[in-house]
Amino acid sequence: MGNEHTIKSYDAELARLTAEIVRMGELAATQLEAAIDVVERRDERAAQRVVENDDAIDAFEHEVSHDVVRLLALRAPMARDLREVFAALRIASDIERIGDYAANVAKRSIPLSMVAPVAPAQGLQRLSDLAVAAVRKVLDAYRDRDAEKAHEVWDEDVELDDAYTGLFRELLTYMMEDPRSITPCTHLLFMAKNIERIGDHATNIAENVWFAVTGEPLQTPRKKGDVTAEPVMPKLGG
Amino acid sequence: MTNLAADTARVKIAVRGLDFHYADFHAVKNIHLDIPERKVTAIIGPSGCGKSTLLRVFNRIYAIYPKLRADGEVLLDGENILDPGYSLNRLRSQVGMVFQKPVPFPMTIFENVAYGIRHHENLARVQMEERVEQALRAAALWDEVKDKLKRSALGLSGGQQQRLCIARGIALKPQVLLLDEPTSALDPIATGRIEQLIEELKRDYTIVIVTHNMQQAARVSDETAFMYMGELIEFGDTEKIFTKPDKKQTEDYITGRFG
Repeated sequence: MGNEHTIKSYDAELARLTAEIVRMGELAATQLEAAIDVVERRDERAAQRVVENDDAIDAFEHEVSHDVVRLLALRAPMARDLREVFAALRIASDIERIGDYAANVAKRSIPLSMVAPVAPAQGLQRLSDLAVAAVRKVLDAYRDRDAEKAHEVWDEDVELDDAYTGLFRELLTYMMEDPRSITPCTHLLFMAKNIERIGDHATNIAENVWFAVTGEPLQTPRKKGDVTAEPVMPKLGG
Repeated sequence: MTNLAADTARVKIAVRGLDFHYADFHAVKNIHLDIPERKVTAIIGPSGCGKSTLLRVFNRIYAIYPKLRADGEVLLDGENILDPGYSLNRLRSQVGMVFQKPVPFPMTIFENVAYGIRHHENLARVQMEERVEQALRAAALWDEVKDKLKRSALGLSGGQQQRLCIARGIALKPQVLLLDEPTSALDPIATGRIEQLIEELKRDYTIVIVTHNMQQAARVSDETAFMYMGELIEFGDTEKIFTKPDKKQTEDYITGRFG
């Protein structure tokens, strides 16, 4: 962030805010990986632990909100400092949502582990790999205040959307072929949607990093990859 | 040229290539600036940046001192006020000034306001009373002093004294009001009253305010000029200056990263 404030403790408070967000984001990314892991291992107790760990992310969000209010009240930040503080608040709220979605995936893995395994569970792994990569990359962009890297994450979300659309179609095909797969596939469908939403929150974070650094909104029209809500259903079975 | 006209409002004061010297010291350097009519323009910058000097050029208050020299043009409604042919009397009736420390005259509250008017106009008693009341009302002081107009102005609080000075300034019905750190000697409540007053006064007057308090500049002004070492670094929409200034020096100053 370039040169320092005349009041040194102001720098320390801004640095602390950044550090909190980076740690919070790291925790959310780890939660997501753990959630996918328990889906694969069909481990109910591990799933429960992931769900409980979400409290730690929520606690981080409270801490960030508190620090933001304090900075606004006591430091009256201006210009880039103001954008930084504002972006931190929004980014923390996106990370908190990412944590919620990861916990949801873990929660659904419990009923899923009680029925016979279905093949498309593999597709979930690829989807979550993309989501984890996006979350980690956007957190790097935040830590380094790298607007270009943030923009890449924003652009790359279309891949996650495509992967989701593909999995969506695959799951529908399974359900049509074998009604007994409807229960597990519905769970997988919700999980996939949760992971796709994580990608959207990563793009929100990217937008806030872009804004903090450049002072401009990131608003060039973006291709929407998720077409599963379009009026014409994607063709099934390929 | 650093002539960064901020928006489409009519220009009240156009500063063109203004230089100011205190003997050998070059205090204001080649300033180009358009001050919009019926808006509040704030001038900010560190001590010694030339902001108060610039403000003082607008009513030629320097003219009483030898060795002080202003070059260039300051066009008030298109007329160069630096032209020796532009009479000081006329200028002072069009451009009022309020200083950092309230300076009430050692006379009654009424006389403080009437004094300046008498200097410029010959009014009958009733008309004079009306004018004084108008000015005190416009300065949001009337209700507090209407029952003690005959008392000495020195008995008023600091905030009241400053509003009295503003009343004295606007009693002459000027076009422009210059405020040089008008609240730096006041408590937050008195400051709040002055800021509210500034907001009301801009309907009728073009206001230029010099302030060290950046939050105040952000609160009260429409346009902000940032000066540093005698130069105008950046001038523009206040919101933009305080959220996304173009120049690094501006950013460093308003975020507290200077020096």
